[in-house]
Amino acid sequence: MGGDAYTFNLGGLTFNITNMLSGLLIMLIVFFFLFGLSRHIQMKPKGGQNVMEWIIDFTNSIVRAQMSQEVASVYSFFAFILFVFLFIANQLGLILQVGWNGHELIKSSTADPIVTLTFSFVVLTLSHYSGVMFKGLKGYLSELVSPNALMLPVNLIEECSNFLTLGLRIFGNIYAGELLLGLVGKLAFSHGWPTIIVALPIEMIWQGFSVFIGAIQAYVFVTLTTVYISRKVYGD
Amino acid sequence: MQVLAQSNQLYMGDMLFYLISFLIMTILVWHFAWKPVTDMMKKRADKIANDIDNATNNRKEAAKLAAQRQEELKGSKAEATKIVDDARKNGQDLRSKIIDDAHNDARTIQEQAQRDAEQARQDALKGAKDDVANLSIEIASKLIKKQLNADDQQELIDSYIEGLVKHES
Repeated sequence: MGGDAYTFNLGGLTFNITNMLSGLLIMLIVFFFLFGLSRHIQMKPKGGQNVMEWIIDFTNSIVRAQMSQEVASVYSFFAFILFVFLFIANQLGLILQVGWNGHELIKSSTADPIVTLTFSFVVLTLSHYSGVMFKGLKGYLSELVSPNALMLPVNLIEECSNFLTLGLRIFGNIYAGELLLGLVGKLAFSHGWPTIIVALPIEMIWQGFSVFIGAIQAYVFVTLTTVYISRKVYGD
Repeated sequence: MQVLAQSNQLYMGDMLFYLISFLIMTILVWHFAWKPVTDMMKKRADKIANDIDNATNNRKEAAKLAAQRQEELKGSKAEATKIVDDARKNGQDLRSKIIDDAHNDARTIQEQAQRDAEQARQDALKGAKDDVANLSIEIASKLIKKQLNADDQQELIDSYIEGLVKHES
């Protein structure tokens, strides 16, 4: 737990082994989780299909809260996969943290700002693209200078701050959660048995809280995604 | 591969890695999980909507049929009453006709009988007249045939009277 990551350079880009491994692991879990839930699709759902449909209904309701049915159907899948991915990524670090030789190998990939900002970047790009698609290039650009041209710098700063806050919010929550988890863990092994007994309930409580935070943050991220998109589609 | 002392630097490669792998995962999930499930959800929603429509139509149809049946039932009741009335009237007609016929027949038979009786009486009267005439002729012939003396005459008259008495009794 903790420690630095393995990195390597390729074509002038730095790659982080920890992020790649945990990201790959999360994506495999997500895929096989959803793949397993969607076997034996029936008109009368049972078992996994019910769970899958419950998740779909949940994310659909998030999307539908922000936009009309026609527009929502375009983004419902993106909201769904984003929610499932972020939720599992947030929880992974609570269950599984693998380190080797003083270096992390597997943790929550959402505890890394680069990863969360990547998703934030994807979301903001999608929202701008949606603005152009639904309102046309002219309508999209006129949104930037509304209500008047003086607001242009403010609007531009808002776009940047949206990008940063969306990514850093989830990173901060998950990173802090894991950091504290690690600190409590270190405390547990600092002075032998007495500290383990003291630290165990604290660790359990904090883990439970982190599960809650992870779920909330995934929900908040998806909700803000739909808000940003709907603001580009419908205007402020 | 090299181990860097500081992990808190920008790893732009990760961004690329996440974008590509996330895209691949998204496509796989879309194809294997999302599409079949949402298709089925849509199909189910359509089916439920159809079922509701069908149920409404069926109920309307059933109400219409029930009304039609009621109407027909009412019609058939009236028809049954009419048939019974007709039958009763026919029966009455038939009865009075049969009685009339019987009356007529009885009268005819009676008349016939009266006529026959009259005829028989006439015949009998006629027969008796013939008998008397024959007897008279016989007597006359016997009288004429025999040259009668007083005794014979007396005997003849006696026998004749005797014969009459016999004939009468």
